[in-house]
Amino acid sequence: MTQPTVAEPWVAGPLRRLMDDARLISGVLLYPTGKAVGQFGFSSAADVMSVCALTSAINASARELGRQLDGKPFLEMHHAGADRQVFMARCTAGSHEFLFVGVFDRESSFGVVEIYFEEFQKAIGKLSPATEVRGIGPSGDFEGELNRSLDALFGPLGK
Amino acid sequence: MKGAFAEIVTTLSHLPGVVAAMIVGASDGLIVETSPMKGAASGGADSRKHTAALAAYLYSKVTRASDAARLGTPVFMRLEAERGQICVVGARDVVLVTIVTSDANLGRVRLDMMKAARDKS
Repeated sequence: MTQPTVAEPWVAGPLRRLMDDARLISGVLLYPTGKAVGQFGFSSAADVMSVCALTSAINASARELGRQLDGKPFLEMHHAGADRQVFMARCTAGSHEFLFVGVFDRESSFGVVEIYFEEFQKAIGKLSPATEVRGIGPSGDFEGELNRSLDALFGPLGK
Repeated sequence: MKGAFAEIVTTLSHLPGVVAAMIVGASDGLIVETSPMKGAASGGADSRKHTAALAAYLYSKVTRASDAARLGTPVFMRLEAERGQICVVGARDVVLVTIVTSDANLGRVRLDMMKAARDKS
């Protein structure tokens, strides 16, 4: 299994533990703006780019849908496909919010992923990214942010 | 169906030595029905969710091992730990899970769990 690659070193430990314990096939930790923080299981920057853009959009839609249906945003989502399942949830570190999306198959289960994600949330919550995070607020340059974070994970394209 | 599940959980949880009884989704490991955890401190950490998810996961692995050894479907799984035991019985799309004390009447627990699984199926 591939080890996580991270744009911000402080997430490497918790992300590796989540990957191992929950037996996830792949996963991405990102800011709600779509900027990737860490990933595992992907070999292509283009795939991570798609996942970040989709997760960011799904989170925004689901958050609004939750507000309209339940008066508060949904906290997590789970989709069970025929072979693979997708789990998506939020976590916070300091005052920063993150999204996580993970993929698993029959080697794991939703219950197992959920309990280890809770541990990941606690681990992340104890860390303080404040000194290591630069410019995570929405800058309006979604594509630029996404590309910069992907460069950090996979190296600059074409080099 | 929920009523039947509640009845199974209540019956199992009243057996001597049973600390908690749960019905758990076999594929997702989520709790369908559970009894309260006997002796758990109010407001303390609730380990049932963790136990349910991991017991169902373990049972699925044991099923594969049993299949690989050409022994068929596991009938009863017991995990003996330092301070108690976890018993699991499969019942099609769910598994029955009990957390029992070390000195529990395991024969009775096993019999009642298997009867409940048979009735459920």
